[in-house]
Amino acid sequence: MKNSKLFQGLRHHQNYNVRAIFLFVIWSILSCFITGCDNFVDVDLPSSQLTAEDVFEDKATANAAMVDIYTKIRENGLLTGGPSGISSQLGLYTDELTFYGVSGSGQANFYNNSLLASDTEISELWTSSYNQIYSANAIIEGVNASNALQAKDKDQLMGEALFVRGLIHFYLTNVFGNIPYIITTDYKQNSIVHRMPENEVYDLIKKDLEQASKLLPEEYTGTERVRPNKWTSQALLARICLYLQQWDEASDASSSVLNQTGLYVWPTDLSSVFLKGSSATIWQLMPAIDGMNTHEAETFVFTQGPPSSLAINDELVKVFTTQDLRKDNWLKAVTDGTSIWYHANKYKEQTNTGSSVEYSIVLRTAEQYLIRAEARAHQGDIIGAKEDLDKTRNLAGLNKTSATTAEEIITEVLLERRLEFFTELGHRFFDLKRTGRLDTTLSSVKPQWGTTDRLLPIPESELLLNPNLAPQNAGY
Amino acid sequence: MKNFSFCKGREVLWYAFISTMYLTCPDTFAKPTTKYSPTQQQLQISGTITDGIGALPGVTVGIKGSTISTITDLSGKYTINATNTDILVFSYIGYKTVEIPIGSQSIINLEMKEDATDLQEVTINAGYYSVKDSERTGSITKITSKDIEKQPVTNVLATMQGRMAGVNITQNTGMPGGGFDIEIRGQNSLRLDGNSPLYIIDGVPYSSQEIGSSYTSGNMPAQNSPLNSINPGNISNIEVLKDADATAIYGSRGANGVVLITTKKGREGKTSFSTNYSNGYGQVAHFIDLMDTPQYLAMRREAFANDGITDYPAEAYDVNGTWNQDRNTNWQKQLIGGTASYTNIQSSLSGGSAQTQFLLSGNYNKETTVYPGDFDYIKANGHFNLNHESLDQKFKVTFTTGYTAQFNNLPSVDLTRDAITLVPNAPSLYDSAGKLNWENNTFENPLAKLEGKIKGQTYDFLANILLSYDLGMGFTAKTSLGYTDLRQSQMNLLPSTTYNPAYGLGSEVSAVFSNTVNRNSWIAEPQLGWGYTIGKGKIEVLAGATFQQQKSNQLVSAAEGFASNSLIENPASAANYLILNSDETLYKYQAFFGRVNLNWQGKYILNLTGRRDGSSRFGPGRQFATFGAVGAAWLFGDESFIKQNINFLSFGKLRTSYGTTGNDQIGDYQYLDTYSTSGYTYQGVSGLQPTRLYNPNFGWETNRKLEAALEMGFLNDRISTTIAWYRNRSSSQLVGIPLPGTTGFAELRANLDAEVQNSGMEFSLRTVNVQGKDFSWISNFNITSAKSELLSFPGLEGSSYKNQYVIGQPINIVKVYHYTGLNQTTGSYQFEDYNNDGNLSAADDKKIIKNLSPKFYGGFQNQIRYGNVQLDFMFQFVKQQNFNENFRTSMPGTMVNQPEAVINHWQKTGDEGPYQSYSNNNAEKRAASIRYSQSDAAISDASFIRLKNVSISFDLPRDWTKKFFCKISLQAQNLLTITPYKGIDPEFRSSGYLPPLRIITTSLQVTF
Repeated sequence: MKNSKLFQGLRHHQNYNVRAIFLFVIWSILSCFITGCDNFVDVDLPSSQLTAEDVFEDKATANAAMVDIYTKIRENGLLTGGPSGISSQLGLYTDELTFYGVSGSGQANFYNNSLLASDTEISELWTSSYNQIYSANAIIEGVNASNALQAKDKDQLMGEALFVRGLIHFYLTNVFGNIPYIITTDYKQNSIVHRMPENEVYDLIKKDLEQASKLLPEEYTGTERVRPNKWTSQALLARICLYLQQWDEASDASSSVLNQTGLYVWPTDLSSVFLKGSSATIWQLMPAIDGMNTHEAETFVFTQGPPSSLAINDELVKVFTTQDLRKDNWLKAVTDGTSIWYHANKYKEQTNTGSSVEYSIVLRTAEQYLIRAEARAHQGDIIGAKEDLDKTRNLAGLNKTSATTAEEIITEVLLERRLEFFTELGHRFFDLKRTGRLDTTLSSVKPQWGTTDRLLPIPESELLLNPNLAPQNAGY
Repeated sequence: MKNFSFCKGREVLWYAFISTMYLTCPDTFAKPTTKYSPTQQQLQISGTITDGIGALPGVTVGIKGSTISTITDLSGKYTINATNTDILVFSYIGYKTVEIPIGSQSIINLEMKEDATDLQEVTINAGYYSVKDSERTGSITKITSKDIEKQPVTNVLATMQGRMAGVNITQNTGMPGGGFDIEIRGQNSLRLDGNSPLYIIDGVPYSSQEIGSSYTSGNMPAQNSPLNSINPGNISNIEVLKDADATAIYGSRGANGVVLITTKKGREGKTSFSTNYSNGYGQVAHFIDLMDTPQYLAMRREAFANDGITDYPAEAYDVNGTWNQDRNTNWQKQLIGGTASYTNIQSSLSGGSAQTQFLLSGNYNKETTVYPGDFDYIKANGHFNLNHESLDQKFKVTFTTGYTAQFNNLPSVDLTRDAITLVPNAPSLYDSAGKLNWENNTFENPLAKLEGKIKGQTYDFLANILLSYDLGMGFTAKTSLGYTDLRQSQMNLLPSTTYNPAYGLGSEVSAVFSNTVNRNSWIAEPQLGWGYTIGKGKIEVLAGATFQQQKSNQLVSAAEGFASNSLIENPASAANYLILNSDETLYKYQAFFGRVNLNWQGKYILNLTGRRDGSSRFGPGRQFATFGAVGAAWLFGDESFIKQNINFLSFGKLRTSYGTTGNDQIGDYQYLDTYSTSGYTYQGVSGLQPTRLYNPNFGWETNRKLEAALEMGFLNDRISTTIAWYRNRSSSQLVGIPLPGTTGFAELRANLDAEVQNSGMEFSLRTVNVQGKDFSWISNFNITSAKSELLSFPGLEGSSYKNQYVIGQPINIVKVYHYTGLNQTTGSYQFEDYNNDGNLSAADDKKIIKNLSPKFYGGFQNQIRYGNVQLDFMFQFVKQQNFNENFRTSMPGTMVNQPEAVINHWQKTGDEGPYQSYSNNNAEKRAASIRYSQSDAAISDASFIRLKNVSISFDLPRDWTKKFFCKISLQAQNLLTITPYKGIDPEFRSSGYLPPLRIITTSLQVTF
């Protein structure tokens, strides 16, 4: 009996509990409605992301945003040394490389000059380039808005971003002709832009580079030449003035670089030119990890014949004279016993070497000498032009030039450029184009070459998304 | 501030937890429910229950109005103590419940009838509540384990294919572990990745967000779907909620429908053990007719002749004499013509008392591939369920947990594309020494790709507990708690042996990509229900809250350069190691929901549901939104004027619903302006890149659904039918607006002022054609006709969608060139130049609109039983257009094999083709060929009727197998296809991947 009373008490207690709980639940739900536990759905920023504002409040993170652009340039878009970049694609497009891979592939279409506006390789070049430009613009805007960065750091980041913006637009306009020049991150503006005539694009590139030259330090940031300095910007400016046939400016800009004799020392040995420590290098892209080497070597080098994708065009091999040391140093023959093929051997290391040996060079002093040689020839400075021309000839083991007239010198310089810069970032294509020799030179070696091939097509997908980009380049 | 308020949210959770903990203490002082009066006479009743063929074990025999019950044993026998005034209730799932007053009987034998026609009594799971099918106001379709176990498939979506009206499912690869695409009532969102339904397993939302990485899933068209972890053998039933009435209670996540998966539960009765072993094989059902060597070489020679080339180039190994021109290989047979084996073992142990039941089951499944080489996909699964109910039936608890492990060891690429494109006189795969043949570096041996593997494990844990307590006075408190934990690690191994030795590459270039994903989530849903009956009226009220959190992280890395290929699975021994992506996301979700159901006389039913949702996926101030629906049903068949006048009508119901649902499948943190790590380093600094274009101003998209349906049963429900009409309108479309490359990004996340309408008719018919003792035949037919339309899109002309969508047209359209025949001078394809500018451009001349959504689709299912033999077969049919074999074939004449039909090509003036003259690399021909693949000539009828599933089973007679039950069956999937389509498979939209396989298995099931 006592037991049951106890139980009864418990039961009451429990009933009381149940009711209380019931009310409690109702109350919890209601209280949520009333007080609004909205905050439950607020989340903090994940550890893998930083707000854009914070990035530019600190030198280290702002720097991380800047260097990321260099990794992008190294990995994709126009300047990558991989098979999708212009070093190999424009080599195939002109008379530098022969294609041995699968017919119908993207590379085959470059090789056969049968590109279409719908080819994904074309839109990849376009979109990665503008993505790199976006990142540069984001740096410029972020740095401008920053209160915490020191003036010195601001100048450097701004200078680098302006340099990158000019650099990418330079390659874009040489490949696609009239293009939009993008100077903001505002998608509303950028999604309806029109194309700009090439000369206006060049004006803006020059403006950006001149500004960059003012902002960038004269010394390299860090121990290696992997960040642009003032002379990097000047070197590109020299090239642009050359393309614009502004001989005085071209000559001055290249002189400003070459006069930095403490930084840029002309090598004595051809085999050192493409090593990472070369003092003839103005700017190069370092690999992701120490020990890795260049994408160029991965793309061009093969060890057994027949080659499975590409090899040096026989036409190019024939141009090298037997004394030319570059033939042995920068080309390599591969044979299967009956046939012989050559591959570009400027960059030699395909795989990890423990500590990196080669970086991908974007700008080097040999070009500055040849720019100045050409500009001086046009200016009438025959002696100076010959002196500059002989720099690369000497290093290649060739005799001093026998050219005497400006015209002869210019012809020699252009030949020298072909031998010196083969498979390097489209030099051949750009040189033929700017000197008006595309059709005469390529018609005989490229059966499907047509005049309109001087420009690549604007990607079809871009024309669909932004009709303001119309019209398409002629011939597509 | 934010941290503080987060804690506040957690406090609320604690209330819920604590309250449920209290509730778990059962009230042990239940009143006795059965009263014994001395005048009643105690009897022992016994008998045997059969189903007309044999004994029926497991039948529940209870006394009406009491908790006393027993179960029939293996020979169908039972004994129970009762009084002469009691009524015995015999019930068994799938059979009609029978009530027999005892009276003076002491032996009651019974032959139970299958519940083939009594459809209205079936209970339908609507998620937070369940409802009698007849009283349902929403649109819900259902399949049960009976449908599932007849199919030799391992993916839960495969089991639903063709069986549900309004649900369109397509398989996207025949690779084991591959995925399926599902669309419930069309594509509501313009975002292709925003159309997945919400999956709920036993009350716990199961994220179907892809878990893979493109670095480690190159062998499939889509990344791994977590749904692979669900073992179809564990599923008791799947319900798909379609209309607003059914889905609005899921609020923001219900726009694309809800798939409710209920797993098998333990059953009262003697402990029984059942095991099922199946074994079979799978093969590619259909190969494309391709050119043989003489046809192919004739094409190549003609192509070079047309191009004016007499000296075949060095790389034209097929025609220049490098390769043997007498070889003729059917590469489809060699590369994808193998036989995949299929093994499945499923065992379960179940039993329990009236208070407590359990189920323990295990499953092992192994599939191999059709490729040459040793590849497999293994899935092992354990499942446990425990139900308990207090003696007074007030307190109930259901606990279910499952663990699935998947091990895949698959090729890193799909060889289907190679099988179709490799030239027929290509050299043999192996040299005389049995090694991979590279034919002196002239042959990229496709088998080398199989040296690369995708290997990985996925572990998936799922647990949920449902507690409910009857508070009295019609109140029931319920809490559902769930937890999921998924871990995947995948490696894409690319050893140096995948490369041609001509590259001279050793293990220093061997690379491995790894992807590790961890995702866990918890959910707590306290609920309170109230039910009350006044006279002929019944009211049910439900209120509840949801708190959910999902945390995931992903690490994608690449390692390259190993001392030896045998070390490749260990990234620590790599020379280079790169983190490609390291990401963590937190998703939090909170909601309050409710339902009020008013039922008058079981004839007039009104159902109101609503939900207020908050999601962390939206920016401050835009996190909350409210959704709701109203549904109504009128059971006109129960009206006396119908009953009296139309006596062949056994059931009649009209129902309608209208409401709103939302969609928050947009990914996490999209509203923030951030930088994230890019995965690449430079000068030892890890790069930071802008994550996305910044737009904080996006909010919920809404989906308004309207439905009307008529459900009828004739001749005692031997014929029953549902006709439903629906219309979904989605607005404030939340999309990734495609942007031109000049913006730096491909898209911008924003609400679009566009409105999309999906409407359609669904018809399903079930007929019991023959219902006899030895012979029965039941048919099910469903057909869905669906249409989508872009209703409005202000500013379409000026937007980046200008060339993609057309107002008034479906959203799944493509714009293509109009093919006008062959140019009789050049033999090239010609197209309509709409603006007559002499130039063909996509923007101006792709004017033909083709709709790639299916016009209608459905299934026809038959279940025939003769004595011990049961035959089931199902046809699936789809009426649609799709890209055909002319899409993405290379130009005829290049070094790529072509469909045999391509021999009909232009050679001289007057030739009709249909294919253009051959060429190896002519730029104009190439342009024409590419445009041809983007023209109306590359789209044709891809309709099909497919014998999707056949199953024949035979129950061994009980006289042979006294102590156990044994069933032998033969099952087949994708057995036969009738189609005008000439590609590899009409179902299938991902070209270049392995099509769904034809699978045939035999199985043996034994139950003790």
